[in-house]
Amino acid sequence: MSRNAAIIGCGQTKHSSKRRDVNLAEMVSEAVYNALEDAQVSLREVDAFVVGNMQGFGGIAQPEQWLGDWIGAVGKPVIRIATGGTTGGSVGQGAYYPVASGLHDIVVAVAWEKHSDSKEAGATTGLLHVGLGNFFHAASYGLSLKNLVATSAVGAAAGVAVYQAVFYMHRSGCSAEHFDMVAAKARRNAAKNKYAHLQWPGCTPEDIARTEIIAYPFRYGHICPASDGASAIVVAEESLARKKTRQPAWFKGLAAFSDEENQLQSENFGGVGVLDPCEQKGCWISATKAYKMAGIKDPKKEIDVAEVYQPFPSQELIFAERLGLFDEGTAWMALEKGETDIDGRMPLDPSGGVNATNAIGSTALQRILECALQIMGKAEEHQVPKKVRNAVAHGWGGVTSYNTVTVLGDSPGR
Amino acid sequence: MGYIKEERPETIAVEGTWDVGSYHYKGSKLLEEYVKGLKQKSLIGSFCPGCGKVIVPPRNLCGRCHLIMDRRKIVSNRGTITCFIVTPPIEKGKLKVLGMDPVETGLIKEGEVVIPVFVKFDGSDSNTDTILLNTDPKAVHIGMRVKVLWAKEPQGALSDFEGVEPL
Repeated sequence: MSRNAAIIGCGQTKHSSKRRDVNLAEMVSEAVYNALEDAQVSLREVDAFVVGNMQGFGGIAQPEQWLGDWIGAVGKPVIRIATGGTTGGSVGQGAYYPVASGLHDIVVAVAWEKHSDSKEAGATTGLLHVGLGNFFHAASYGLSLKNLVATSAVGAAAGVAVYQAVFYMHRSGCSAEHFDMVAAKARRNAAKNKYAHLQWPGCTPEDIARTEIIAYPFRYGHICPASDGASAIVVAEESLARKKTRQPAWFKGLAAFSDEENQLQSENFGGVGVLDPCEQKGCWISATKAYKMAGIKDPKKEIDVAEVYQPFPSQELIFAERLGLFDEGTAWMALEKGETDIDGRMPLDPSGGVNATNAIGSTALQRILECALQIMGKAEEHQVPKKVRNAVAHGWGGVTSYNTVTVLGDSPGR
Repeated sequence: MGYIKEERPETIAVEGTWDVGSYHYKGSKLLEEYVKGLKQKSLIGSFCPGCGKVIVPPRNLCGRCHLIMDRRKIVSNRGTITCFIVTPPIEKGKLKVLGMDPVETGLIKEGEVVIPVFVKFDGSDSNTDTILLNTDPKAVHIGMRVKVLWAKEPQGALSDFEGVEPL
């Protein structure tokens, strides 16, 4: 039987496109020390660290060897996890397991990205490192060099998400204007989050609609930034959590699943049997399993706030449906009614989400962290104006269909 | 705060490059089979004995059934667009793919609008990723009927399959 575990402290750095005042190790330590301070935990009490970022990004293959000293991990176990865009979600869940199993009492999870260390935009070094193998697979997928380059012209993750968006529009009946609304909401919410990157108080959908088209239906204003930043959580077992914190954020349910890779540039040779890129079965399976573990029967009623992984606005709508928060093809209608606003019935990404702040490795951990803040009542200006009993955090990445779902609550699941 | 010893506006930066280009990877036997088919202007798919799906290009294992797909099936050259993207005109110096400028290398023409599409070929149950050619970008839609545009003299290479064009 596993033990109960909870998040007792959260720490973030300020996110911006260039953190030139710090190097990678200093930046990561900033988040860790903020989290330790928030949790009122000394370094001596920490048993182990789980760390992670996108593999190879920033041009460093084994960053944990550099920053281990800086986060106080000398003589302690350090596990590094890298699962692409989902990394933060896996890092957060990776800190839960040793605590729940009884191996460790206090574990710190930290995830980060430092895009600006790469000279070219978009973490080129990292994308080459990750992407070269994938590009090769794309060639064996049946694309000639010319067509591979033409397809890749759309961009890495944007190229993947744009297929999802077109599919979603086709089958749900939503339009590009709804993406403007999601992006504007993300900018406005971010303006209330002091750690967020793209802050734009009073941003309107019309502001977004004025920006240039990147690849139909995505506009410049729809796309997430590339941020420098780190986030960290402190996970503790039940008795310590109760002693240290008035309101811990309890891990109630968690799961991570992937479907058959459902996009181009798959790791296997050949075509793909998934005809609909926004089906995202992995998210649906993860959510179902995580809710079952958390004892949640009707997520529409029992979940109070959700942090959805939405580097592109279409994904907030798609994944909110896959997480069971709205009926199939209806999330955009709820958006129109303002149900997904901070003060709405089902607030989505009150922090501004990935769309406003995207330090890739860290983003999915930030979703867990933001859910914890909402439960602990520490979200300050972007705190939702209702009692948060259950919150769901989502991560998306891997190749293109790996999903992590973590359900946090104000009381342990059992 | 973290372990920053002193406040400073900027860290010292040291420039360096990292050559990540010197790898080589192996293709599979299936790739060989597929390109041999292309030389004959035929699209080869593999058949799953579990779910009965036909996947183009062929693959070794069914993603969902995890069964070996060792039977082949030739599918139609005609199909339906299931999804598309329309890029803005691609200009020189704006884009780098695989470390190169596609306009400079001649792979994409200056000002070309690229339309990557997913096509479900008749008789297959999969999306095949390719590009749509000879089409007005405004005319492209989901459900559009297309056919394969073959190279004039197929060489038995992936480039034999140039893309698709409207029927």
